[in-house]
Amino acid sequence: MKQDVAAPRPIVVRPRPWFQSGKFLLFLAGLLVVYAYGWQVTKIDLPELVVGAKFVRPFLRDLFRPEVLTRSKQTQQVEIAMSIDRAVAPEDLPAPTGPVLEVPTRVAPIGTELPVTGRGFQPDAQGTLYWLNPIGNPQQVARFRTDAAGAFTTAITVPEAFRGPEAGPRGAQQRLRAVVEWPVGGLRASNTLLIVFEKIIETVFLALMGTTIAVAAAVPLSFLGARNLMAKNPVGSGIYYATRTFFNIMRSIEPLILAIVFTVWVGLGPFAGVLALGLHSIAALGKLYSEQIESIDPGPIEAITATGASALQVVRYAVVPQIVPPFIAFTIYRWDTNVRMSTVIGFVGGGGIGFVLQQYINLLQYRQAATAVWAITLVVAAMDYFSAVVREKYV
Amino acid sequence: MKGAAISIEHLVKTFPDGTRALRDISFEVKPGEFVVIIGLSGSGKSTLMRCINRLIEPTSGRILIDGVDITTLSHEEIRRLRRSIGMIFQQFNLVKRAPVLTNVLSGRLGYLPASYALMNYFPKEQVDRAMANLARVGIPEKARTRADQLSGGQQQRVGIARALMQEPKLILADEPVASLDPATSHSVLKHVEDLNKKDGITVLCSLHFLSLARRYGTRILALKGGEIVFDGLPADIDEQRFKAIYGEDAVEVEIR
Repeated sequence: MKQDVAAPRPIVVRPRPWFQSGKFLLFLAGLLVVYAYGWQVTKIDLPELVVGAKFVRPFLRDLFRPEVLTRSKQTQQVEIAMSIDRAVAPEDLPAPTGPVLEVPTRVAPIGTELPVTGRGFQPDAQGTLYWLNPIGNPQQVARFRTDAAGAFTTAITVPEAFRGPEAGPRGAQQRLRAVVEWPVGGLRASNTLLIVFEKIIETVFLALMGTTIAVAAAVPLSFLGARNLMAKNPVGSGIYYATRTFFNIMRSIEPLILAIVFTVWVGLGPFAGVLALGLHSIAALGKLYSEQIESIDPGPIEAITATGASALQVVRYAVVPQIVPPFIAFTIYRWDTNVRMSTVIGFVGGGGIGFVLQQYINLLQYRQAATAVWAITLVVAAMDYFSAVVREKYV
Repeated sequence: MKGAAISIEHLVKTFPDGTRALRDISFEVKPGEFVVIIGLSGSGKSTLMRCINRLIEPTSGRILIDGVDITTLSHEEIRRLRRSIGMIFQQFNLVKRAPVLTNVLSGRLGYLPASYALMNYFPKEQVDRAMANLARVGIPEKARTRADQLSGGQQQRVGIARALMQEPKLILADEPVASLDPATSHSVLKHVEDLNKKDGITVLCSLHFLSLARRYGTRILALKGGEIVFDGLPADIDEQRFKAIYGEDAVEVEIR
């Protein structure tokens, strides 16, 4: 075809750069409003990070010294009677057997510099000198280390000591105590470690039982929630939508909330946690399983059917190889997720490690809490690795 | 082994959505023929092949294989019919996660008791037969490899070995080389030709490239809109006939 009319000269409209367009400026203003409100409503207060640092420091420090191993300790203790009043004689204590603690004078007013020697103690051990007032409250006055012969020399300043409830000569009679401590035997697991170990095992099994319950229910349900199998007639479609709705609703309820419900129902303890994780996982796994069934390749089914195989053989050789490995992978992944979730489920009384962790934190036992935190970290990381290896093998 | 004779009489297939895939098709295939079916996508090639092993139920007409009308067979008889018909697919249709050997062995399922499947058990002589068939298509060393680790050509050869396990008298090859490159296409089709020439198996094979059809077919059948528009020798397809099959604007593309 011939063109008689010359094409009109194109009018070149250079668009404004994108950052000058009205839409973009409007978007920017909207964004500003959103974040300004967000900043205010979440009470963001950056200086508090600096001010509050001193409160969190002991916790952070203890996080890196979890209580894991301990050694039994043996102690030696010797006391001598002292007086802080020149008019009052020291008590008459029976002569000690074993180690000996010696001072040049038994009468020393407050503030006196007093050399102290000892002998016959455990060699090469740490010791502490305490000043005891009449009601027996110890006050640390020196630390020392015994030499190879079990002797030591140190000096103390007689402290400002309480004279006891009733004034009088009795209040001047005080004591000096030497305590020497040394570890005996090998390292052993601390009680905290034993408790944490028991609870972490409980946690892993809590997750395992929850996952198992979920698998048992989710496998059959997932077939009802697979569109390619169910949505062939109105009844099937109805079942499909009902199943999918159940999955979606259950999935949106946090296991933590389910755990609160179940602790009311069956009482505090791991069983409530198992039920909470199980119910949530039915929905989570059911959705993953049914999507896997939906994405199944019809090719092998057609091919195996064409060889004259029976329905059972078709399922075994065309369907099972396509769904079982991903099912295993999803299940392991879910177990891994459930181990992580079950650590928090303990916070609301659902059993497992979270329960003891919460106790330690509430009692300010940060070193013990650190043991629990590290145990959770190790187990979750191990599960993560394990599930990754298994998934890589199967998918 | 003797190939199957096919006789198709007034075959019609209308899908539930109203698509008339096959409109009154009739032809005969003699034992040992290599019939290439050509035609545009949607011309009814796949439907025709799937009617022959009843993966698709014909609407009307008769299909006789070695004189037996297969459109009236019972469920159990269809299974016995299918095991004598090997099928090769464009997308290979292997179970990707399963080893090659299992894929080959699955061609034998029609002959084995269903209870074996529960144990994933195959008799030793079938395993030996599978290895022999893998050797015949040239990839015995891949037996333990996962099917999806193989190249396209190797996967299609596994598909051929699987069909061989059925000891078929007829092979239906539905665009067996449409997903392969030209060089691989020849190596795969040579294996199919080998089955046809050495074992006398009747072959019905749909192809897209006329050059391949001329090279391998002993006879060419062209479908257009569910009807046969050409039935004759490869040499008889000239430009005019080509345009009648593929439409006015079509240009023949050579593949060597």
